[in-house]
Amino acid sequence: MSASTNKIGKGYVVGSTLLSAFIVLLILVVLIANSWSAVSANGWSLLSFKWNPPTQQFGILTMLYGTILVTSIALFLAIPLGIFTAFFTSEILPSKYRILVKSMLELLAGIPSIIYGLIGVAFLSIWVQNVFDLQTGRTFLTAGVLLAIMILPTVITLTDDALQNVPDKYREAALGLGLYKYEVVKYALLPIAKRNIVGAILLAFGRAMGETMAVMLVIGSLDKIPQPFYNVLSSGQTITSKLGREISESSFGSVHFSAMIFMGLLLLSIVMILTIVAQRNFKTEDRLYD
Amino acid sequence: MTRHRYNLLFSAFAYSAVAFCGALLIFLFGVIIWKGISAISFDFLFSPSRNFGAEGGIVYQILGSILLVLTSALISFPIALGTALFKSEYLTNHRWQKVSNILIYGLNGVPSVIFGVFGLIFFVNILGTGISWFVGAIILAIMILPTIILSAYQSINSIPTIYREGAQALGFTKWQVIKKVLLPQGINGAITGLLIGMARAIGETAPIMFIATAFSGVDVPSSLLEPVAALPTHILALAQQATNPNALQNAWGASFVLILLVMTFSISALFIRIRRQTISQR
Repeated sequence: MSASTNKIGKGYVVGSTLLSAFIVLLILVVLIANSWSAVSANGWSLLSFKWNPPTQQFGILTMLYGTILVTSIALFLAIPLGIFTAFFTSEILPSKYRILVKSMLELLAGIPSIIYGLIGVAFLSIWVQNVFDLQTGRTFLTAGVLLAIMILPTVITLTDDALQNVPDKYREAALGLGLYKYEVVKYALLPIAKRNIVGAILLAFGRAMGETMAVMLVIGSLDKIPQPFYNVLSSGQTITSKLGREISESSFGSVHFSAMIFMGLLLLSIVMILTIVAQRNFKTEDRLYD
Repeated sequence: MTRHRYNLLFSAFAYSAVAFCGALLIFLFGVIIWKGISAISFDFLFSPSRNFGAEGGIVYQILGSILLVLTSALISFPIALGTALFKSEYLTNHRWQKVSNILIYGLNGVPSVIFGVFGLIFFVNILGTGISWFVGAIILAIMILPTIILSAYQSINSIPTIYREGAQALGFTKWQVIKKVLLPQGINGAITGLLIGMARAIGETAPIMFIATAFSGVDVPSSLLEPVAALPTHILALAQQATNPNALQNAWGASFVLILLVMTFSISALFIRIRRQTISQR
């Protein structure tokens, strides 16, 4: 009796594990298989700047550039802001308020991205339009700022964790040597917490690249490299906004559809690599400072 | 002297960063609450939407979202729990542990729009289901799988080995150890993960917008293969007609309700986690 339930139990456990693994592989296989016809039909011309479905031109570099530009703006704003806020929450703020800060951050991180998109449409894009006197407020800058706001909680909470993981004796020893607070942070905490902070940044990087709804609503959806290329006040397109806008317009099985999937696969590969590398950074296998 | 100045500069940066973040927090919640409360009313919550969402309420969107997220939880939970048990209790090989970590964290990192694209290809086109709420629930279930697995795994794996050994010494089979010893203690972690996953799933737009939802003319689906209305996609559609003040107001109302639903799940998760901590401290 108990031997057979043991078998059933093991069967359930093994079965669900196999199912989970199968799902991950299925996603990869489906995406690779469906991007194949674009690769075989277009070859290297996928890596060009021209995207024009009627003439069968599917260059994805414009979207890739848009993704990189928007993500860079977001990281450029969110990293310094996030790290300095984490210095405050971890090193200056008395520890009894930490639970409050942490729950605030969790609340912020829980706001669905579509609501950030709505705020972007209703406020941010209008502000950008008025401040810079533009025809439309839907620009790379708007999307970048919105993304920065969205990844800020991730950066703060993970950096704060990284700093908190450093044992107090390091702070005490450094303070005992007569160091100022910023010197404690710079010479004692940062060298130890560096790996985890880099991990936090990579994770935020991956999040920002894969974010769809908010970006899609405020980027303007224009398949053009800005002129000049650093002009962040023009409308553009990212991989995710392109997928969100255009995938239901392309018919399944066409080269157009396949090129979209290829773009998605590219995005997936970049984000997955970032996530997995980031996760390696969080491993604390070296018990140097226990 | 210069050291002192550097220190002041550092403090100034830290204080202004936190002031900026605080202002941002107040702005975000202020906007959502202020705009949201002025948009909702009894009628708004309990009547169907009219005129492409610009008039009427969001009752079917609320029901649809809850239906999607509950179904996805029912699909995801048993699979995730089994996987977590396998990873914690059966997987002893170090290399396979690493492989499983890569798979789980990889799945966790998949951008949400990719899940939508996958669902569109595999279910809607290859399996020919068409736009169906059930497919949306399956995709959301896949999306929250890693969250539940990791949370369940951590709580099961953190149960001291001595409990397992004690139970085995009493002649328990492996499954009896799991059922009588590990699950009663570890289930809280799995439920916390489930609630966190549900909080994320209910707010997601990108995975379901191509495959599960229709914008107008939808009420409660009567079969597995019908589209459903959902709050996030409703907000998306309204945000795209933002020049119409009525549509925008309804979008704020729907956002407020969505935030309340998200918070219901995440605050329940928080409570379970706190309760577990106080129990383990005793």
